[in-house]
Amino acid sequence: MIRIESLSKSYGNFLILDDINLDIKDGEFVSILGSFGCGKTTLMKIIGGLIDNYKGTIKIDGVNPIEILKKRKIGFCFQKANLLPWRNIIKNISLPLELNDDKESLNKSKKLLKMVELESIASKKIWEISGGTQQLVSILRSLALDPNILLLDEPFSSIDEISRSKLHSKLIKMHQKTKQTIIMITHSIDEAVFLSDKIIVLTKNPAKIKKIIKIDFLKRDESIKNSKNYISYIKKIRTLLKG
Amino acid sequence: MKYIKKFLNIIIFLLIWQMFIFIFKIPNYLFPSPIEVLNSLIINYKVIVYNGFITLGESLSGFLIANCISVVIALVISFNDRYENFIMSIAVTLKTIPIIATTPLLVLWFGSGFYSKIVTAAFVCFFPSLVNTLRGIRSMDKNLIELFNIYSTSTYQKIRYLIIPSILPYLFSAFKISSSLSLIGALTGEFITANKGIGFLIISNYYSLNIAAVFANIVTISLMGVGFYNLINFFEKKIIKWNTVENS
Repeated sequence: MIRIESLSKSYGNFLILDDINLDIKDGEFVSILGSFGCGKTTLMKIIGGLIDNYKGTIKIDGVNPIEILKKRKIGFCFQKANLLPWRNIIKNISLPLELNDDKESLNKSKKLLKMVELESIASKKIWEISGGTQQLVSILRSLALDPNILLLDEPFSSIDEISRSKLHSKLIKMHQKTKQTIIMITHSIDEAVFLSDKIIVLTKNPAKIKKIIKIDFLKRDESIKNSKNYISYIKKIRTLLKG
Repeated sequence: MKYIKKFLNIIIFLLIWQMFIFIFKIPNYLFPSPIEVLNSLIINYKVIVYNGFITLGESLSGFLIANCISVVIALVISFNDRYENFIMSIAVTLKTIPIIATTPLLVLWFGSGFYSKIVTAAFVCFFPSLVNTLRGIRSMDKNLIELFNIYSTSTYQKIRYLIIPSILPYLFSAFKISSSLSLIGALTGEFITANKGIGFLIISNYYSLNIAAVFANIVTISLMGVGFYNLINFFEKKIIKWNTVENS
């Protein structure tokens, strides 16, 4: 469980985050929506233990995020896949395991590839696969150490619509299997509604929580995109972001 | 086809050279014809090969020492920025001193044998190697650095898994530059004082006005330089394939 209480963050005199209060349950898929530069990435970096000078408290299962990060129990995935070009796909996924001196690193990485039905690309070089698949490999790498929390910073922003849709389905399957807490920053309302259990809409600078919207679907597949519920969620969030 | 073209270019160049000597009737103690140079190469090949290996050994040792030291210094600078100005000012000062001016001193300190030539070769290679390695470290992908910070990696892990592979393209550039420089360094050392090596052969043949042999040794050292460069190029293409793909 992630509990954020009265969290504020400034850069000099510039207030970025103002009085953020938020609870995220274990296994929840949460998306953060807000305008460009409103402080979404700063919030994510604070949750991930990469920024430590802020006001307020943040605890993950009662522990400071920096401690969780040191134990390598937080997975990150950025806008750029950030794969190492001198390593093939399987070796990219196994990197965090190797850094942890895990002797089973290759076997564990193979299992991760199997989970998304991509065993065939294991020995390929990164330039031999598409940008979308590179992003998926990056997500798998962040899952290698079996983290409690997975933080995704606009992971699909540079991917075309069709590949993005495929990756969404794979991410949903992956989340259903691993039951990890996922926090994702996105600019796509559609993506947020399709993937998340909860959406947090932030205001413009300084970022405050404008609204927390619980998304409720019985199942998660492409068919929900035509439902009235889905469209109404999108309209609601669009209005919130415009206002 | 590429190699045939290169071969034809060399043949044309040699033909022009031969005709130039023939038409202007230049004496062979000033400028020998390619046939005379080839003849000298064939007659003296045992001596040239033996001395060629000595020069190659000196330059290779200097090359390795300079590159190892520059990589270690660049790594130290990358983890401790405050040493950069100090180390770079010393390196730049050393660079500005012409090698020909310091070689007599190096001979005095390291003797007239093998070691002074190794140090001379290392001295010439050091600066370009250091600058290139540092450039490689400075231009490392910031996102990858952040990724390794997230994994809370040790210094050793950062060097092994991130820094060394990242700077390999720059290291190979440094190797290419210092491959020819190391030969120049070794040759300079041999010019000052030596009784072995291609530099020694060039000087001794020059004094006996055997200019065809001087040319034969110059051709040998050029071929050694080209071979050394191409060997590095070959390993570069084999080892850092990703760089060629990314740049294409």
